[in-house]
Parts: sequence; C-alpha cells; structure tokens
Amino acid sequence: MTAGSARTSASAERLRQWAPLLVLAGLCVLIGFFNTNFYSFGNLVRLLNSAAIPIVLCMGATFIILMGSIDLSVEGVVALCAVIASLLVANDVNQVAIGLAAVPVALALGGAMGFANGWLHIKLKTPSFMTTLGMGFVGLGIATAILAGLTVRISDQTFRYLSLGRVFGIPMAVWIALASFIVAYVIQERTRFGRWIYAIGTDEVTARQAGIPIERTRILAFTLAGVFAGMAGVLAAAQFGQGCALIANGRLFTTVAAIVVGGTALSGGVGSVVNSVIGVLIVVVLANGMVLMGIQPYVQQGVQGLLIIAAVALALDRSRLAVVK
Amino acid sequence: MNRFDLQTWLPAIVLGVLVAAISVYDRGFLAPSNLITITGDTMTLFLMASGLTFVIMLGSIDLSVQAIASMASCIMAVYISRYGIVAVPFALLGGALAGAFSAIVSTRMRIPTFISTLAVSGVVLSFGYWFSDTRSVNIPAADRDMWLFWITGSFAGIPGEIWVGLVALLVLSALLQLSPFGRLVRGVGAQEQAVVASGINVDRVKFFAYVLSGFMAALAGVVMGARLGSGSPTLANEFLLPAIAAVVVGGTAITGGVGSVWRTFIGALIIQVVRIGMTFVGISVFAQQIVFGALLVAAVAITMDRSKVLVVK
Repeated sequence: MTAGSARTSASAERLRQWAPLLVLAGLCVLIGFFNTNFYSFGNLVRLLNSAAIPIVLCMGATFIILMGSIDLSVEGVVALCAVIASLLVANDVNQVAIGLAAVPVALALGGAMGFANGWLHIKLKTPSFMTTLGMGFVGLGIATAILAGLTVRISDQTFRYLSLGRVFGIPMAVWIALASFIVAYVIQERTRFGRWIYAIGTDEVTARQAGIPIERTRILAFTLAGVFAGMAGVLAAAQFGQGCALIANGRLFTTVAAIVVGGTALSGGVGSVVNSVIGVLIVVVLANGMVLMGIQPYVQQGVQGLLIIAAVALALDRSRLAVVK
Repeated sequence: MNRFDLQTWLPAIVLGVLVAAISVYDRGFLAPSNLITITGDTMTLFLMASGLTFVIMLGSIDLSVQAIASMASCIMAVYISRYGIVAVPFALLGGALAGAFSAIVSTRMRIPTFISTLAVSGVVLSFGYWFSDTRSVNIPAADRDMWLFWITGSFAGIPGEIWVGLVALLVLSALLQLSPFGRLVRGVGAQEQAVVASGINVDRVKFFAYVLSGFMAALAGVVMGARLGSGSPTLANEFLLPAIAAVVVGGTAITGGVGSVWRTFIGALIIQVVRIGMTFVGISVFAQQIVFGALLVAAVAITMDRSKVLVVK
C-alpha cells in the first residue's frame, strides 16, 4: 500500500474488509498445526472464556472509536466497578451482602463515570483522550484508596456464578458476553443513536448541519461505554473472586488492540461491533497460541503494541488526515 | 490581564500561594534544607516532563515516557556492574531509540500519536521486562558510589540531582527559545500547515522532539534508579499522569505552540508541593491519583486554545 491509497481498487477494499476474518482463520490453522490441543473442546471453551471480558469491554469502546474519539479510562472504570461490586456482595471486608443487586449498582456506577467522561469532554471542550486519561486515573485512585491497596475476597457463590457457572457446558461469562454483543449490535443497527454515531464519526460538521444532536449523542455513547465497562468489572470480580485495583491491569491495551485489529478505524465512521468481536478473538487466539508455544507472558503486551501499530497503519484512511498530531 | 499573561503567570502565582499556605501550617517548610529536599525530589518528575514539553508543544503527546524511564532504569542497573559508566549512555540510547520508534511510527504511518505512543509503551514495557528478566535489579553500592556520584552525591551543598535538573533546564530552555529547532517546534504547534508550506521537513522536527522526549525520560529513569539503588520494569509506572500534569499545569497548552521548559519546571514543583500538601492534610498516597487526574483535566481545559480545533474528538 502506498501513500496514494485513494486509488485503492474495489477488490483491495473488499480484501481489507475481510482481512480480520482471514487473519483469524490463518492464526487458527497455524496454531492448530503446531499444537493439536488447540482444537480440543476444553481449549475452545478456555478461549471463549478469556474472550468474554474483552468482548464486553469492546462493545462500548467500539462506539467511542466509531465517533473518532477514544476512551482511555477503561481500566479506571473496570477497577472501580469491580471493587465496589465485590464490597457489596458477601466478602471478607464488610458486612454488606446484597448479592446480585450489586450488579445494577456497578452498572450504574460505570454509567455515571462514562457520563462524567462525556460531559466533561463536551462541556469543557477537551479532547477525549485527555479527559478520559484523567478520569481513568481518578477511577483507579478511588479504587485503590477505598481498599488502601488491599484486596477484598468474595465469598458470595451466587455472584461468582455470573462468571463460573456453566450452561450447556459453556461458562456464564461467555453467555453474558454474547448477550452484550446482541445488545450492542441492536443498538448499532436498529436505533437512531447507532446511526448517529456513524454519522458523527464520518463527518461531524455535516452531521451537525443535518440536525443530529452531537452533544447528546456523544455523552450517551460515553455513558454506554461506561455501563459496558461496569459489566466487565462485575465479570472480572466474579471470575477472580476478588476485587482490587490491579484487576484492570492491561485491559485498556487489549481493548484498543482488539478494536483496531478487528478493522475499526481510529479516524471514525468505519467499523462495527462485529469487527470488534473478531478483533478480540484474534488477540485472544494469539495470546493462547503464544502460551501454547511457550513464549514468555511479558512479551504479550509488546506483541499487542506492534499489533496495534500494524492494524492502524493498514486500516487508517490517510487521505482524510491532512495533519497527524 | 489578558488571557496570555494570565496563562504565563498563573502557575507561578499558584506555586507561591501553595507554598505560603503550607508554610503557615508548618513553619519548618521554608527552611533552606527542606526546600532543597523538595526540589531534589521534584527533579525526576521534571526531567521526564521537560522532554515531554517539546512533544506537547508540537500539539502531540507521548504516552510512553513512564515505560521508557522504567526500561532505562533496568538497562542501567543490569549493565552498570559489568560496564561501569557506559551503562548510563546505554540506557539513554535505549530511551532515544524508543522515542525515534514512536516518531517513525506516527510520521511515516501517519498514526495519531496518542495511539502510536500507547502502542510503543507496550513494546518498551516488554523490553524492560526482557532486560531485567522480569525482576527488580539492585545496583551494588560500590558501583553507585563510583559511577552515579553525580546524582547521589552533592556539590556546594546542593544534591547532584538538582544540578542535573538545572543543567537540563538551561540547555533545554536554550534549545526551545533560542535555537532554530525550538522555533520550528513552536511553529509546528502553532500552525503546522504553514510550516509545511514554507518547505520545512516537519517530520524531521517531530523526529527530534520524540528522540529528545525519549532521551529525557531515560535520564529520569536513570536518576530514579540511582536514587532508589535499583532498576525495575515497573519503576516509573505511576509517573505518566504527574508528568503530563506537570507540563500542562505549568501552562503549556496541549493544542501546541504555547509553552516553555521553565513553565514545566514550575509545573513539576506545583505537582510536588500539592503532593506534600495532600500528605500533610492527611490524604492517603493512594487517593492522590484522584486529585492529579482532576487537576489534569482542569488544567487542560484552562490552557487549551479552542480556536485551533474545529471539532473536538
């Protein structure tokens, strides 16, 4: 691909559309070739299980990136919601035990943080990456401060069932991820809000002239991303049986990597939540493959970093960017 | 007072008010020895933020400085007992290379810098783990005394790290205010298209700014490692937010064009004094991130030049 990507032919365009799926298929074949255990039912369930939380996170974050913005507060929201949820169910720190009622509380909290992101970003007119960077640290700070750096253990088994329980042999976390995907897909395809997101991402000035309520849509999108991040926090707490600020470590990286690897463009307007699911699967399969091949786990973040660069470089429509800051 | 003047002097006034407020409660605060200690503690933050200032002046961002500093501390700690002082330029070279990588990725592939440097931070983090073999590496006291005395020792009653910071302040200020490179950095931040139109190779300006940012982040990592007597792949993890905050609180706008290194110096001192003040009032170390996060958003909102951005993404 050269700088004159405006001349990209239709077939190349189609290839770019299908590239994420081809990459996923290629990876599966390659890893399966080296290690036949890859296709065992046990490993597939393990793959889906480790994809569950990233998928939930990506569902909301995709909308943000579709608008051409970014949400760097993912880790802060996940950490705070996980900590609050684990403090509300039966645990070893306090006497509160409201059971599954903790879930809506965590979702509302995530939504509130997302709303704060969007509201500050819109009202102060600050770029989203700065606003969410600051908010992310606020979230992490609160999560750490509540527990003074300690970890709270969850003893509520019903709550943990949200992640560990199995239906038809498949963990609840996977079903919840599937439900999140359906919700996000319906929002994207079947609501005015979903279409407005695409309009804003494609050309905000025109969208404004067409009468789309930009501010309201943006704030709503950030709120929605917060709710999904809250759900991810609940799932993380349920999965590990504990709440602490460290529970969110590395989540931002995986989320951004998955979304851009799936083919959603950072410049906005191009992509979908379906792409993001494929992107998550690519990232998870790659991580799983590296473990099967005995590569050190600390290399993974480096590989994901390179993956982000490669994917963004391939997906970005540079003709739209006069100045890159 | 117009907006520009306010932006120039407000940080210094804030710093003065903060220092005065704390010294009312704690009479010992203004004692020269205490002031020297505080300034010394601020130097690592300032070194990291000073290079970052150039990048932010361009209107870009570098989210990899904390990873670079950690990696540099690992390189230094691992090699100092084997190669002596050479380990330090080694570490600085590592930082400069990481900065160069960020610049190439963002200018050649035209990737927005907040994403390219985020990605590079992941790569650099992995390198830090690789150099240190995922452990925290101790620097033997003998090596520290022999090779790192210019950081840990003191001259004329003032700790070495303050001298390092002052030299950086002078050199980088001169570079930004007096050199052609500095003028181009300000130009790119103020109006990139105009600089491009006048035939300047903007990518090269950006390249050197990122190399400088990586270099200074690595120097901060070296100083940090020398002070603590060890290097670790997560040493500087908590420093990204304060570093950006120091630049922005000092009055450098994230939209680019407006700013200076001495403002960042004031900004770093403000961050340090706020931290001391919070500890003094009894706000836990854990909760301080909350204040810094809020401070960052507020400072960005105050300093940024909205006439430059039509659509805020």
